Amino acid sequence: MPRSSPALDRSRPPEPGEIRPFHLPAVGEDRLPQGLELRVLREARVPLVSGCLVLDAGEASLDGDRAGLAVITGDALQGGTEVRSGAELALALEQLGTSLNISTGWDATTLSFTCTAERLEPTLALLAEVVRRPSFPSDEVDRVRRQRLAAIRQRLMDPGSLADDEADRVLFPLDHPYHRPLAGTETTIRRVTPDHAREWVEARYRPGRGGLVLVGDLDIVEADRLVRRQFGDWEGTPEPRGELPAVVPPRPRPVVVVHRPGAVQTELRLVYPGPGRKHPDRLSLQVANAILGGAFTSRLNLNLRERHGFTYGVRSNFTHRRRGGLFLLSTAVETRVTAAALRETMGELDRFVAEGPDDAEVARARDYLAGVFPLRMETTGQLAARIAELLIHDLPMDEYHLYRDRIREVTREGALQAFRAHVDPASIPIVLCGDAEALTGELEALDLGPVEVRLPTELQDAEEA
Amino acid sequence: MLSTEAQVHTLANGLTVVLAPDTLTPVVAVNLWYGVGSRNERPGRTGFAHLFEHMMFQGSAHVPKNRHFEVVEQAGGSLNASTWFDRTNYFETLPSHHLELALWLESDRMGWLPEAMDEEKLENQRGVVLNERMQRYENQPYGDWDERIQRLVFPPDHPYHHTVIGSVEDISSASLADVEDFFRTYYVPGNAVLTLVGDLDPGRALEAVERWFGGIPGGDAPPAIPGHPDPGPHIGGTQRDRVEADVPLPRIYLGARIPPFSHEDFYAADVATSVLADGRASRLYQRLVREEGVAKDVGAFAFPLLHGRSFLLAWVTGYPGADPAVLEEGLVREMESMADVSADEVARAVALEETRLIRQVEQLASRADLLSMHQLYFGDALRLNGEVDRLRSVTPEAVRRFAAADLGPQNRAIVTYVPREEL
Repeated sequence: MPRSSPALDRSRPPEPGEIRPFHLPAVGEDRLPQGLELRVLREARVPLVSGCLVLDAGEASLDGDRAGLAVITGDALQGGTEVRSGAELALALEQLGTSLNISTGWDATTLSFTCTAERLEPTLALLAEVVRRPSFPSDEVDRVRRQRLAAIRQRLMDPGSLADDEADRVLFPLDHPYHRPLAGTETTIRRVTPDHAREWVEARYRPGRGGLVLVGDLDIVEADRLVRRQFGDWEGTPEPRGELPAVVPPRPRPVVVVHRPGAVQTELRLVYPGPGRKHPDRLSLQVANAILGGAFTSRLNLNLRERHGFTYGVRSNFTHRRRGGLFLLSTAVETRVTAAALRETMGELDRFVAEGPDDAEVARARDYLAGVFPLRMETTGQLAARIAELLIHDLPMDEYHLYRDRIREVTREGALQAFRAHVDPASIPIVLCGDAEALTGELEALDLGPVEVRLPTELQDAEEA
Repeated sequence: MLSTEAQVHTLANGLTVVLAPDTLTPVVAVNLWYGVGSRNERPGRTGFAHLFEHMMFQGSAHVPKNRHFEVVEQAGGSLNASTWFDRTNYFETLPSHHLELALWLESDRMGWLPEAMDEEKLENQRGVVLNERMQRYENQPYGDWDERIQRLVFPPDHPYHHTVIGSVEDISSASLADVEDFFRTYYVPGNAVLTLVGDLDPGRALEAVERWFGGIPGGDAPPAIPGHPDPGPHIGGTQRDRVEADVPLPRIYLGARIPPFSHEDFYAADVATSVLADGRASRLYQRLVREEGVAKDVGAFAFPLLHGRSFLLAWVTGYPGADPAVLEEGLVREMESMADVSADEVARAVALEETRLIRQVEQLASRADLLSMHQLYFGDALRLNGEVDRLRSVTPEAVRRFAAADLGPQNRAIVTYVPREEL
């Protein structure tokens, strides 16, 4: 057996060295006369600049019959501008070694890029051209529509997506935007025309309540000059968003099986309504969730994976949107152990809510969350995306500077009370995607609620009805 | 463009240590590459390198099961590992004052793993790995594409003929004796590179590495890789596999043998894949997605593999009801016409790859991974700094030559997925 030096005690972790301070530079702030918020963070590790332009143009602003319009518009935005075809635009960006990533969520449309610092000015000019002067050629809109329709078909055959989509449908009422898939349904996607996209841009691609974030080796003065040149005369503010309907979990607790004949595994979801991004319980819930299912050494993962070998992994998390959100627990387990895995999962949830975590678990979760926080704020791209998130949720720019202190203030009692207030294991809806013939008998025997079997094709039909 | 600074040291037991200070944030990335992967697996034990990687998290003589993840997470670190054809890597990123914690954990499992192994842990991780296989392969549309394409591109006695995940039968029959044997054969200091990047003092870091790893005996050089590494430059025709399966859309995967990562022509192949499918101005996107509208999505990638030949992969997904023959015709046409690629196309592709490379180097963990790779594969961590120049020196003529030589029908494997039934 190998020997180590006598002074070395291998039996316990070495003492940490002296803790080193973590300073996130302050975010430079400015607002252009027409309302565009500018945020700049100086970061000079590499000669790159990352940018994010956020627009108050999310899917949640749309009525159900127009679902998918924001997503299709975002997809088709690079189809061409008043002065360039889509192909010419792509070439112009990519010859600069960059590309524009456009993503549309419930709360915003975000255009992001990373370029080398010396190419920032021409990149910003192209960004402005895309946002302010899109042309939406009909063949491009048509293609984007066809791609999204094909993607629906892909989701219908992907067990994880089937389970996710069904979980949203089970949890949120029919008149709530989160009930539907983010990118819309077959029916609503087919309806979108180039004129709809133009109207959407006219109404919501506006500087008011929007923002531009730049992270890299530049300061607010220089950024301000560059940004004003492209966006200084951009005007308008989108209509404010309305309230969303309240979400009450359905009773009795549904246990829905999306049938996938012969599936070797079951995708399992437990889902519950959750609070929005600004809710004061957010950090207490993060600590509670880290202990329950938000880390590798969470109770759920140690049980389902490391004790029983039922799964490759299990995770839970709270997703916070500007208005409301959800708690989602996800795993994929071998078909024959599905009922056993669900019983263990319910057992862990019940025990967590009944007894709560112990002090050591809370201390470990706090240290984990505070410690990994800077690891996720490392690159210009990550920083720009995180600051963009603050703009989307209308939060102060010192949120991240205060995060580590705030997370360390969360107590055992606070974490437990918050979790109890937001998640009720006795009524949490359960969705499974797997072989219903193999599952229903055992699920009924667990007696968690009425078991209902649905077919993937029915899901789509229900939307069209 | 790239100017990473690093020192390279070798301990008496053969462990190579790469140290790259960067004190901008109080974070350190610890990255350990072992020169073992699925290429080293013998017949009947496919998937074992990966199963072994899982066993490395089951504790070692001084670290109980689950403790490894617990202490790193409590320290505010993130960690993982991955197994690939030519290597297995283990990595932690953590606040820099916890550097020694990672050294403790990594050295303990490098030196003292077998003592902690038992049947229960193996049984548990077999279950986890089989579930990983189900989740990623069996229960996933197109999940077996790599099995099918590798089988066609490489002959049965080549180390890249089988996949990293391996077969269910082989994973199920792995024993504790296999674990110990694999450990003694491949997990020796001389077959590993330890890279530390971030907030560290090189002198003190090297001392700490010596303290934790210095007592591990060197061991013998690993045996030769099983099978025959050089399959010849080309597949020798067009090999086909048509699959009717539960897939939503028709899709074509095309594979071709290309020069290995160690050959300068690899970079021409790499740039060729970017010309083909990187970005919206790429050939496949521009022609098949945008102009002709026959493809929903396209992609291409040159695998950086070492032994004999590597392989290039390209794919095209069609819309519902599309004729796979039309997809294949379009894909093949664009690949063959690479023999007249223009200088502008190459310049665009190189510009995109440059930005991507700088973004990888920006992140401590991926910089550490790249340094480990260049050190383990080429014996020179700082070879990383030449990557931009290697890309820039790829001429249009070199891409044309590569396309003419390696992208024709004499060197082609085609796997065609057709939806079993219309939805």
